[in-house]
Amino acid sequence: MKTKKFIPYFLVAPYIFHFLLFVAFPVIFSIVLTFHQWNIISPMKYIGLANYTRLFQDKFFSQSLVNTLIFLIIHIPLQIIIALLLAETLNQKIKFRGFFRAAFFLPVIVSGVVVTILWQQLYGFDTGLFNKILTAIGLGRIGWLVDPSWAMPSIAIMATWKNVGLYIILFLVGLQTVPVHYYEAADLEGATHWQKFFKITLPMINPTIFMVVVLSTIGGFSLFIEPYVMTGGGPLNSTLSAVLYIYKQGFFYYHMGYSATLGLFFALLILSVVAIQKKFIEKDK
Amino acid sequence: MRNQFLIILFSVLIILLLISCGSQKERKSNQLLFWSSNNTQEIDFARYIVNEWNKHSKSGKVSFQPVPEGQSSEEIILAAVVGKTTPDVYSNMWQGDVEDYARAGVLVAFDTLKGFNDFIFSRCDSSVIREVTSPDGHIYQIPWKINPIMLLYNKQIVAGLGFKEPPANYEQFNFASEKYKNENIDSHGYVKKWFGYSEVLVTWWQRFFDFYPLYLAASNGAPLVKDYKAAFDNKYAVEVFSFLRNLYQHNYFAKERLSARQDVFLSSIIATRFTGSWEILHAEKFKPEGFEYSFAHMPVPNDHQGPVYTYGDPKNIVIFKTCSNPQLAWDFIHFMIDKKNDLKLSQLTNQLPRRKGLINDSLFAEYFENNPKMIEFARQSEYVRGTDPYPNLTEVFDIISQEYEECVIYGKKAPEDAIHEAAKQVNLLYIK
Repeated sequence: MKTKKFIPYFLVAPYIFHFLLFVAFPVIFSIVLTFHQWNIISPMKYIGLANYTRLFQDKFFSQSLVNTLIFLIIHIPLQIIIALLLAETLNQKIKFRGFFRAAFFLPVIVSGVVVTILWQQLYGFDTGLFNKILTAIGLGRIGWLVDPSWAMPSIAIMATWKNVGLYIILFLVGLQTVPVHYYEAADLEGATHWQKFFKITLPMINPTIFMVVVLSTIGGFSLFIEPYVMTGGGPLNSTLSAVLYIYKQGFFYYHMGYSATLGLFFALLILSVVAIQKKFIEKDK
Repeated sequence: MRNQFLIILFSVLIILLLISCGSQKERKSNQLLFWSSNNTQEIDFARYIVNEWNKHSKSGKVSFQPVPEGQSSEEIILAAVVGKTTPDVYSNMWQGDVEDYARAGVLVAFDTLKGFNDFIFSRCDSSVIREVTSPDGHIYQIPWKINPIMLLYNKQIVAGLGFKEPPANYEQFNFASEKYKNENIDSHGYVKKWFGYSEVLVTWWQRFFDFYPLYLAASNGAPLVKDYKAAFDNKYAVEVFSFLRNLYQHNYFAKERLSARQDVFLSSIIATRFTGSWEILHAEKFKPEGFEYSFAHMPVPNDHQGPVYTYGDPKNIVIFKTCSNPQLAWDFIHFMIDKKNDLKLSQLTNQLPRRKGLINDSLFAEYFENNPKMIEFARQSEYVRGTDPYPNLTEVFDIISQEYEECVIYGKKAPEDAIHEAAKQVNLLYIK
């Protein structure tokens, strides 16, 4: 009987062990780190709140936050509009529907590094396909990745292409939950296609839209692979995302304490944004 | 009964897991572990050396392995230092990292080992010894091999532009660049081929292949950091920034990254590149028929006088303090870098040992006869610099790199202001 009491604890022990070692310990350790200066090879040095003071004076970190915000402003609406339009189309009885659904989802499962290398070629100033098309139709070339004002929008476009398939699936699920008799009733009333879309579809899939917003916000905040591979954060730091900057502080310069401080601050920022979004969802409900 | 069995099973699993996280097995004092670089040629060299040593040595045996795969060998070494799993001997240490490791107390000072001081003076000249001596007066690294950064050029293109010799100074380089650009503008008015190319990424070590060798060339090998202060706020650094900025402003160098496609040098999209002798193996393997190339010193300011220095991209050997028998480790290193084995290094890897008088050494004569392209590198090897023996060099190069991008590539800042700003930031780094 006594043994039986301990069985559940033994069964959850591996997870608890994993949680303590790989979640709780790193989180607590990184909070401790924020009060220290540490380059990994030398002993830690207590520096009080110096890392926090530095954070609020760090122009590169503020720039990285602005860059991330620019990315989100372009990426989220673009992603939602394209995903919704494509989902709406793919929800109709069109030819090769299965093929298109698979094709749009394909980039989601391709490695991020592969996609960025491919798009780097497409974005090439002199030899890239996009600029070849622009010059062929008599337009000037665009410095997709070499012009500071174009670099982040270019990355946002690529990220949208990469991820849109996932959101199409989510919207498709949402669209298929809308009862058909709503549309039948609207048809009887003589509603147009757009009226049905705005008056029935959109309100009915509102929870899905909010879920997509939350997911793409979190995904957008963690922007890393694309600028890391394509631009290294340049030109002129215009694609330096917050996560890339945190990574650079930690693993380029081994400023572990400062990197942990940036990470903690950034985690709290994401948490606040998601909390605000959550409040909107609950309010809407 | 079944429950008891489950409990025992879980307990055994957890114990096994904890045991497997234990520390590495200690090596015996007459056994050494040597980590080499992980490129094929250097693995061949390490294998040869270790076999030879083990055949003849009675004092101890050496086993070797290439440095484990990772994003960079520097990262792997750092992880090993943290985990206290460093090898006894490591042969691919970037000079700029040594001071940080020395300060962390993880390296053995060679000058405390028997026979080292006599050896180092016979191998290197005094300027090299000064370069590798830490501010605390000890030597924690042995200068082993170098890959001087030089101007690689396409002989046919340079000759086609009317040059008998490759452009040697800024004026000649600019003139050749302008001429080449004018010959390579497409119907839409865009440049389709460039005279040169250097990576436009701000990554700190990219400056080893443009700013730093050009600065050393212009300044006769002046330091970047001296007495814990920036030493580059001078006319040479400004001249280098101005020269490079001009190349980008006039579209002589591509602002776009060209590295992700076919080799732009071998496909004649660019005519020159600042690079090291590792290009030879690659070029010989992949060059199109009839393609001719050669190497020359880095371009210098028009009024330059004296020898032309460059960055040597040195890789040095260190002994970690985890080594239980540093004297044996030193004996092994001594064997590995004696003159005969230095020659073997060149033969197997096409890299040069950092050894004085290489070009006139009769032992190397046959090697240079068989590898004539290495003669230029051997001549240049008399005039190379590594990095200064100060900590935080990664950040120093990063600061320069940030200003480089703003001034040189995008022309947003005047060269004087960019250099001055970089120096100011470097000085802040060293405030204790």
